[in-house]
Amino acid sequence: MNRVILLLSVMCVGVSSQPITENQRLFSIAVGRVQYLHLVAKKLFSDFENSLQLEDQRLLNKIASKEFCHSDNFLSPIDKHETQGSSVQKLLSVSYRLIESWEFFSRFLVASFAVRTQVTSKLSELKMGLLKLIEVRTHRHSLDLTNQNSCLTDHLTLQANQDGAGGFSESSVLQLTPYGNSELFACFKKDMHKVETYLTVAKCRLFPEANCTL
Amino acid sequence: MMKNLSEVVLLLLLLFFSPYAQGTRYSPPEKPALTRCRSPEKETFTCWWEPGSDGGLPTTYALYYRKENSDTVYECPDYHTAGENSCFFNKNDTSIWVNYNITVVATNALGSTFSDPVDIDVVYIVKPNSPEEVVVTVMEDKGWPFLRVSWEPPNKADTRSGWITLIYELRIRLDGEDDWEMHLAGQQKMFNIFSLRSGGTYHVQVRCKPDHGFWSEWSSTFNVKVPDYFHREKSTWILITVFCAFIFLILTWLLHMNSHRSLKHCILPPVPGPKIRGFDKQLLKSGKSEEIFSALVVSDFPPITSSNCEDFLVEYLEVYIPEEQELMLEESKDLHDNCLKSEGSTYDNDSGRGSCDSHTLLMDKCRRSKEEGRLTDQEESPIEAQRHQKKWNEGPLAYSHDDIVSPDTSSGRVKTWPSVFSPLPQYSSLNQMSSLEKVKQHCLSDSLFPPSSSSSYLTQPGHDNNKEALGASYWDKQHRSLHPQTQALWQIQAHSEVNISNVGRKQAPVDLQPLALRPTEYVEVQRINEEDMVLLQPVMSDCGAGCPRPRQEDDYSKVQGVNNDNMLLLQREVAGHEAERCPCEDQEMNGAMDSCVLSSIVTQKPTACIDTGTPARDDTALAVSGYVDTATIFTTY
Repeated sequence: MNRVILLLSVMCVGVSSQPITENQRLFSIAVGRVQYLHLVAKKLFSDFENSLQLEDQRLLNKIASKEFCHSDNFLSPIDKHETQGSSVQKLLSVSYRLIESWEFFSRFLVASFAVRTQVTSKLSELKMGLLKLIEVRTHRHSLDLTNQNSCLTDHLTLQANQDGAGGFSESSVLQLTPYGNSELFACFKKDMHKVETYLTVAKCRLFPEANCTL
Repeated sequence: MMKNLSEVVLLLLLLFFSPYAQGTRYSPPEKPALTRCRSPEKETFTCWWEPGSDGGLPTTYALYYRKENSDTVYECPDYHTAGENSCFFNKNDTSIWVNYNITVVATNALGSTFSDPVDIDVVYIVKPNSPEEVVVTVMEDKGWPFLRVSWEPPNKADTRSGWITLIYELRIRLDGEDDWEMHLAGQQKMFNIFSLRSGGTYHVQVRCKPDHGFWSEWSSTFNVKVPDYFHREKSTWILITVFCAFIFLILTWLLHMNSHRSLKHCILPPVPGPKIRGFDKQLLKSGKSEEIFSALVVSDFPPITSSNCEDFLVEYLEVYIPEEQELMLEESKDLHDNCLKSEGSTYDNDSGRGSCDSHTLLMDKCRRSKEEGRLTDQEESPIEAQRHQKKWNEGPLAYSHDDIVSPDTSSGRVKTWPSVFSPLPQYSSLNQMSSLEKVKQHCLSDSLFPPSSSSSYLTQPGHDNNKEALGASYWDKQHRSLHPQTQALWQIQAHSEVNISNVGRKQAPVDLQPLALRPTEYVEVQRINEEDMVLLQPVMSDCGAGCPRPRQEDDYSKVQGVNNDNMLLLQREVAGHEAERCPCEDQEMNGAMDSCVLSSIVTQKPTACIDTGTPARDDTALAVSGYVDTATIFTTY
């Protein structure tokens, strides 16, 4: 009997270890994607800044940058302490929300059609990946907790309610567009870096051997 | 007492007024400037500024900042930790992903000056410290040493939690050299370096950079010495070299001993001797030239029957002026003989058969395959030209080239020769000549202008046009009687200068010959000018089947018949119609200006039988056609 239990537990561990490897792979892919997106955001921002010919435009942009990004409404950790203190789940969900919002707003980026579509598609893919990661974690947790089936959507809506932003309404869009595109580029750049940091921290916490402490 | 008082007053006044005396020295402070802000680990950051002139008064500096989305202005929390003129923001005051708007204010008694504000985001100003604990060890891999460099991230940078991702770079330099060798190590903390010089001392340094930030400073240098490993290798090479030398010596000795002769024959085969059937080599050794030559001469060579010639030479017809009949007869034989021989001659001995199918052309056909040989010969043509000038023959050489169809095209170019009386096909664009028609000799009328203008001939290195024959010739008209019977013969002497530099072109030296010879088929005498110069012009002449129709209205390409004086009677066709027969011989005797000369021979009188070449010609005028198609005549026979 003891042997049977031992065997079963070994099997369970073996089975459960499988998704962890897959998880690690998904994490690595997600981190890679968001790094790429951050680089694209940086480039777009710098190109836009360089394209500003007139000094007045620059000043205007500086003034406009005092406005906040739509993502400021999201309760995201803004320093290391908070980030370290957040759970992986929280980090993932914040990242997911950021990506989802930018998937919507990336259409307003002033860039060539090809760039815009590429950015939007990459954001969609990343969103899917994050969703998968969240699901995996949720299901893993559901092995221990019973009522976690629909945890994901509930969790996300809870987050949204807490933030009070209510998603990305048209008003927020209208808020942004009159303030010029540099605001949009700056916010995009910042948010991509946020997601990159969150995902890296989450990955290193989950899989410390992978490029974190080599 | 009074003195003391005055001194004191003076002193007081000085003290009082001295500031005013230098009143311009005091001023509000100059605008300070923020030089840089850096964060070593993305958790804290420091800003430094550069003070301006303080205006002569004690000045204080204060740093104020404002976070985005908020209008509250804060002052720097820490002015001392980072040194002078700096502001240190600790963890509590540092927010990531938040824009800081920072300003420095310089204040003195007279006023305060604000610096330009600076916006920073901590995330983008990270410059970590140098990597620490750089250790280099020498390791071995199958006898070949290599260096293993290992390091640790800077102390404060938190890479373990993934807060910062660092990439590393190291550089290595050999002791005594100036160039560093860079290696990018990525995120790993260890690196191997191969291909080292034995016995050398190396200097190694490492630095790091966050994924979006600045490179750190180079770490302290680590020196390492690579042990010597070359000796072992050297001895092996020495052994191998000795062994190979030994084997080589043995082989040489063996070869030498075995068969001296066969080896020699194997490596250096003997030069083959002359092998001529029926020829005795001993004759060469004996050294008697007559015997050699007689031995060379074969009885049946050259073939008298000239079977080969007849293949090409349909027949030729000699047309000439009665006085020169003898000359012509002499020429014919030469030509005949030259049919197969005289490949080396650069010009044709043809006396100017008035036939497009003349053997000269035909010879060209024979020789077409031997162009190469002729080329080499022709390169020595100046010498030959000189030689040929002395001969009484006319083989004016013509270069046929497509471009020079009319004098106009020859401007600035090589003026080739013209006046060819016999087509010398072997020149230049032979390959262009698909048929005899291409072998044309163009007589540039301008080249026949008075000598003063003919000096314009020039030889250009014919780099421009491969198809052009280079060589210039000008015609010089001289009166020269070569033959007592041909006193008034016009002799056109063409000096040809072959341009040797034009390799690959066939250049036939234009030979001048006394024009008593038969006019060539391709040249048409235009007129004779005052100075008794024959002006020739190219003629597009028929030559058998392949030639284009002549441009002239009058087509003298048909031969009516041959009279008993061996004169060719031409039939003139005008625009395709049959024309009257040209009573050439009658007019010739008249010496009339518009008499025709059946051949292209220029008669003794300039006025005789010259084709005016004028467009307006009446039908009765017979022109000297530079070309006579003898083919048709012979076929009738």
